[in-house]
Amino acid sequence: MVEVQHLTKRYGSFTAVDDLSFQVERGEILGFLGPNGAGKTTTMRILTGYQPASEGSARIGGFDVFEQPIEAKRRTGYLPETPPLYPEMTVFEYLHFVARINDVAPGNRTSQIGAAMERTNITDMTDRYCGKLSKGYRQRVGLAQALLHNPEVLILDEPTAGLDPRQIIETRRLITELAGDHTIILSTHILPEVSQTCQRVVIINRGKVVAVDSPDNLTARLQGSQSLYLKIDTNGVDPVPTLQGIPGVVNVSSADYREGLSGFQVELAPNSDVRREVARTVVTNGWGLLELRAQQMSLEDIFLQLTTEEEPEHEDVPQPGASSPAGYEKPTEERIDG
Amino acid sequence: MGNILALVQKEVRGYFVSPIAYVLLVFFTLLFGWFYIASLNLMLQLSGGNFGMGGPQVVNVNEFMIRPLFGNTAVILLFLLPMLTMRSYAEEKRSGTIELLLTSPLSDFQIIMGKFLGALALYTLMLALTGIHIAMLFQYGEPEWGPILTGYLGLLLMGSSFISIGLAISSMTKNQIVAGVATFAVLLLFWIINWIGDASGSTAQSVLAYLSILEHFDDFSKGVIDTKHLTYYLSFIGLGLFLTAKSMDTARWNG
Repeated sequence: MVEVQHLTKRYGSFTAVDDLSFQVERGEILGFLGPNGAGKTTTMRILTGYQPASEGSARIGGFDVFEQPIEAKRRTGYLPETPPLYPEMTVFEYLHFVARINDVAPGNRTSQIGAAMERTNITDMTDRYCGKLSKGYRQRVGLAQALLHNPEVLILDEPTAGLDPRQIIETRRLITELAGDHTIILSTHILPEVSQTCQRVVIINRGKVVAVDSPDNLTARLQGSQSLYLKIDTNGVDPVPTLQGIPGVVNVSSADYREGLSGFQVELAPNSDVRREVARTVVTNGWGLLELRAQQMSLEDIFLQLTTEEEPEHEDVPQPGASSPAGYEKPTEERIDG
Repeated sequence: MGNILALVQKEVRGYFVSPIAYVLLVFFTLLFGWFYIASLNLMLQLSGGNFGMGGPQVVNVNEFMIRPLFGNTAVILLFLLPMLTMRSYAEEKRSGTIELLLTSPLSDFQIIMGKFLGALALYTLMLALTGIHIAMLFQYGEPEWGPILTGYLGLLLMGSSFISIGLAISSMTKNQIVAGVATFAVLLLFWIINWIGDASGSTAQSVLAYLSILEHFDDFSKGVIDTKHLTYYLSFIGLGLFLTAKSMDTARWNG
């Protein structure tokens, strides 16, 4: 449905998007993940025909966005980062204008506007001026605008930015619902959003694709760098040297200390599951085993790992071990903001 | 075509929900009315001055009243029309709504025509309001139709030139004040461009005189439609719209 090949966008000497390629199948939700300034918005603007690419091509429904822009745009609904609302129009007038410039047949306008308003839950705002709407409603009117003409592809630039938690959940549900009929590309830097809504994730950093996979697979493929959380009662003995002695354990560090009980973070070598050995060691030493669980890397950890240079401050982030798993390019300098 | 109409309606609506349309209409008609009275007084003086020699003279209303009035109107437009076009692109770029237009299935041509015709519609309304004053002249005098109609045609063409330049300049900035001031400055320059002609050689003078935007208006108010002037204004409009298109394209590449 959407094909992006070797897309590059340069501004003078600055390369915003660097040789980006990916595909989105019909009905799929693709999450576009990256730190601020990674090139998400630029890529989306190229896909929507707002900007041309310096090199490479992008096709929507088989139409090149640069060669046949009108055909490509007909098949695309776009919600930019700031919803493009005219403050002096009411919500209905605005959507009516959008319907007209998107060539919605006069007979279908009212029904399609009604459907879009119902889907985005803004029917009670019909006669409000767009300029008087709250941030959450602006975002939803923007979304209604994007899906009004029933486009095959929806491109949403940070659709949940600025919404309150309840609206975020509603918007995510809406996006998931829309996925059947529409192909959706959404950008975000909020990670749970991706694991909850998207079937596939493209992580980009400094304009380059760092990883493409499903959220589950991304997590699974980095399972090699697993760690354990261990809570034991040692009666005052320091268990670290003993635990370090177990083959497959890379490092043991103290994680927390509460009510006389120590919690430990046990980092394991890639692809080794030594939970049995650890449990046996604890028991044979006569310590009380209170908790032992495998810690999975959350998408957040993977994201940080892929887009951040390893630095001492990030000790709380589980390290993947000396070599990064195959298939992942390790970026060099970029760090994420905040 | 339907798309252009939607854009034109959006533009006109935009003028009327913001104070711009009212400010322009009020001050344009006020200034026009002022010049109208001034020209009327001048004409009455001219005809009354001959009382001693056999009573009031019959004065040509077209020559002594309407022609100077149209000339003054051209100057009012020079001041007011930059305010008509200054926000057309600048405001959309500032607020981000230009992104909606550029990602909708619209061609640049349609967007430009929508904005141009929208501004032209409001300008036509401004001119139409002055028709009341002219109608009063028909009530009390006997002006000729011809020069009035060609005069309006001239005003329409000249105003369209102002609008097209205004659009081009508005499309180059996000700041409507910058757009307004720059448009005014450029139009002023095209008005006074022949003033330095006197000291320079005759060829330069005739070139500069040809470029002057008001110079071409005079014949229209005399009742003459000269293809030379028609070509000038149409080229001017074409140039303005062409520059607008180029500027949209440049903005797209530079993002």
